[in-house]
Amino acid sequence: MTTRIFLSTVLIASLLFGCGGGDPEFLDGRAAEIYSGECSGGNGNSVTIYSGRTENLINPVLEAFACETGTSVQVRWGSSIDLALLLNEEGSKTQADVFLSRSPGPVGYLESKDLLGQIGEDVLSLVDEQNHSATGTWIGFSGRKRVLVYNTDEFSPETLPDSVFDLTDPKFKGKVAIPGTNGSFVDWFTVFIDQYGEETATQWLNDMVDNDARYYPNNRSIVEAAGRGEISMGLVNHYYNYQEVAANPDTHKALNYSFNDNDIGSLLVITAATKLASSENAEAAEDLLAYLLTAPVQQYFTDRTFEYPLAAGVLPNAALPALTALEIGSVDFDKLGGGFEEASRIVEASGILNR
Amino acid sequence: MTQIEIKRGAPIGLRAVVFALAVLFSFPGIYLIWRNLTEDSDPISLIGTERILSPLWRSVSLALAVSATTAVVGTLLAWFTSRTDIYGCKVWKVLLPIPLVFPTFLGAAAFIRTMNPGGLANRFLSTLGVEQTIEMRGFFGAWLVLTLFCYPYVYLPVAARFRQLPRSLEESSRVLGQSPIKTFQKIVLPQAGPVIAAGTLIVFLYTISDFGAVQLMRYDTLTRSIFTAQLANQSVALALSLILLLLAGVIVLSERIFSRVAFKTDEVVMGKSLEYELGKWRTPAFIFTTFVSLLSIGAPLLAIGDWASDGIFRSTVGGRPLTIDREQVWESSWNTLSISVLAGIAAVLAVLPVAYIVAKYKSRIGSFSHAVVIATFALPGLLIALAMRFWTLRTDWAFDLLNNTKALLIFSYVVRFGSLAMGVVLLAVAAVPQRLQDAGRTLGVQRGSRFLRIDLPLMTPGLGAAAGLVILSTMKELPITLLISPLGFSTLATRIFSSFEDAFVAEAGIMALVLVLISFVLTWFLVIRKADHF
Repeated sequence: MTTRIFLSTVLIASLLFGCGGGDPEFLDGRAAEIYSGECSGGNGNSVTIYSGRTENLINPVLEAFACETGTSVQVRWGSSIDLALLLNEEGSKTQADVFLSRSPGPVGYLESKDLLGQIGEDVLSLVDEQNHSATGTWIGFSGRKRVLVYNTDEFSPETLPDSVFDLTDPKFKGKVAIPGTNGSFVDWFTVFIDQYGEETATQWLNDMVDNDARYYPNNRSIVEAAGRGEISMGLVNHYYNYQEVAANPDTHKALNYSFNDNDIGSLLVITAATKLASSENAEAAEDLLAYLLTAPVQQYFTDRTFEYPLAAGVLPNAALPALTALEIGSVDFDKLGGGFEEASRIVEASGILNR
Repeated sequence: MTQIEIKRGAPIGLRAVVFALAVLFSFPGIYLIWRNLTEDSDPISLIGTERILSPLWRSVSLALAVSATTAVVGTLLAWFTSRTDIYGCKVWKVLLPIPLVFPTFLGAAAFIRTMNPGGLANRFLSTLGVEQTIEMRGFFGAWLVLTLFCYPYVYLPVAARFRQLPRSLEESSRVLGQSPIKTFQKIVLPQAGPVIAAGTLIVFLYTISDFGAVQLMRYDTLTRSIFTAQLANQSVALALSLILLLLAGVIVLSERIFSRVAFKTDEVVMGKSLEYELGKWRTPAFIFTTFVSLLSIGAPLLAIGDWASDGIFRSTVGGRPLTIDREQVWESSWNTLSISVLAGIAAVLAVLPVAYIVAKYKSRIGSFSHAVVIATFALPGLLIALAMRFWTLRTDWAFDLLNNTKALLIFSYVVRFGSLAMGVVLLAVAAVPQRLQDAGRTLGVQRGSRFLRIDLPLMTPGLGAAAGLVILSTMKELPITLLISPLGFSTLATRIFSSFEDAFVAEAGIMALVLVLISFVLTWFLVIRKADHF
């Protein structure tokens, strides 16, 4: 009997319980670092975001936007690839107005499906020309640099190479981790192929496999393993190590190392914001994209999430390695002759995924 | 015990209900076929190519290995805790289902964090002068971690089975001077066989569908091929998924044939079941159970607890503040608990008619529906989420009715996890004595009334255990929750994912501890309290 009472209580309560509560007048926590003024009342606008960037890092920005502008914000969180697949499934019926991607691949995928809308010129002009798409379908709002994360007990910066090409040297045999199936690695490798040609790129990866490079599923697992000393070094995005150090300052024994500025191993990978073609809240969506590029938000990105700011006038946090010339914002699914697919195929054929 | 059973044809109403359920459960399958056709995929040309054969073989060989070990471990643990005088029996009953509740990406990462080189166990052992350097990875790592996390799929239904096995045979066997091990071999094992097989089948299908654990253990399987092909080469991903589903269907149907040969409808025995004295085996049994629990619960919890306590400590001494507050944890916990309990109840109600028709009648629709429900378990959650989205978008009224509702979310959970409830519900239904039914009929009681007054009360404990399996699995579910839930709906699992992705391990650790705590309470409620009613 108690079972039934318990279950029906749960049932009823779940129907009654909803999300609720009005906006507080002032923000607190990290959102207040972005906007400390009084919240404006609702302006009747709303914007729905599918975010491949995670809640912990992006939510303060969205809270600040909602508070400052009075636009109500709804979010579906998830991995960028899953959300891109969902958007493709939803097509023009999606409720999403804005899609925030963690890496260029999903943006290129949605572009190839003609699902992205035009972003206005006044928003696009907030970043340098190379940080938005030529056709105006996406705009970069932060950057992550490809680096080599290394275990400090085993290597010092002087012993590390200038170029990613040198990692095939026997002295790094069995020491390098490669996140072969990770989105931003495949994006990076797609650019690698584009710049050096398929033959050179394939040769490099095969040499890495011959040099006993090890496969890990993603950036985060490499950074974590390098911090423990399970692996000596690995090719990752720069920013994971900062988060890992912040979380485990005493036990995490790994640091980032930058290859030479013009080396392909130092590519800057852009996280992009897009507006869906089917958006019925196009204006609020543009407002949000512009907001991501305001000085306080860009400052937040570089100070709190340790990323590179892309809007003019905001300097990268001093702790970050210097910026480089090479940048990538989207992977072209169609025009590079299926570059992304080609990259995936070469990665798979190299055998790295079984190492 | 010999029983001549004549299965009758099922009533038309029941057949109609079961057919409707089969249609609902086949949504993901129909979606896959439809997409294969519209995307011009060519699954047939893929069969027999290197692209599918080697990952398929790796998936199948891993699934076979994990199935074999979980069958043994799950059955032994179930027997120890439900039929023997093992030390700390009640404690084990609350502890042993817990591995089900770790989201695999977190559980596997925490396991690695504790066990692998430079990990917590390693650091502790090296202070004792022991240098342990085994690196868990590849086939071995995936096999170990999946065995440790999946044995409850066998353990829970088999434990439920042991508690309701008839005593008379065992008692006579014991009177005849058989040792407990002999009795286990000759009487208990054959009677629990079909349940062990059904649980093992679930493990097999789960292993095939798993992505989180095999990925972190760096073992390359068919699901990895599917996931990496999603964006780059969608038609290949769809074709591979369809092949996966067909493979699962074939395996499920062959398991049915095997089970039908062996299945006996045994009757519920009221009163406490017999307890064996393990004698000289008491200590080894205790050590074995402790060992399994230490690895499957202790190792991940150690890392999770370390993350949580480090983070809380640092935030109090001026380090990085926590990005979650009490209110968020409370809200996510409540969402997790309420949605998974509702999903558990809904799943049991949905599979009940199917189990009923399979156990009581001879019906093709029944066998087909049963196969559909179970085979769907081989599909990764992401595909089920996409399929559900696809279906709600086909018609305007379905979209208006279901979009952004918890009803759609619960329905998706039911399709994903109905298979887990099926085995135990089937067992519960089959255990209702036919002679009680016959007596009821002779007395002129209507069919519906007979079900409510005779069948349902006898089945309740089994149904509770079935709901428990679904609830524990729903609590950790990720892709469906992320993609199908109403906007702004977060569960502990989605917040753990969000935090863990960006190395906010303290937040992930705290919420994982809350998740484990809630599942402790639920397990106590569903498994332990229920068991006392037997």
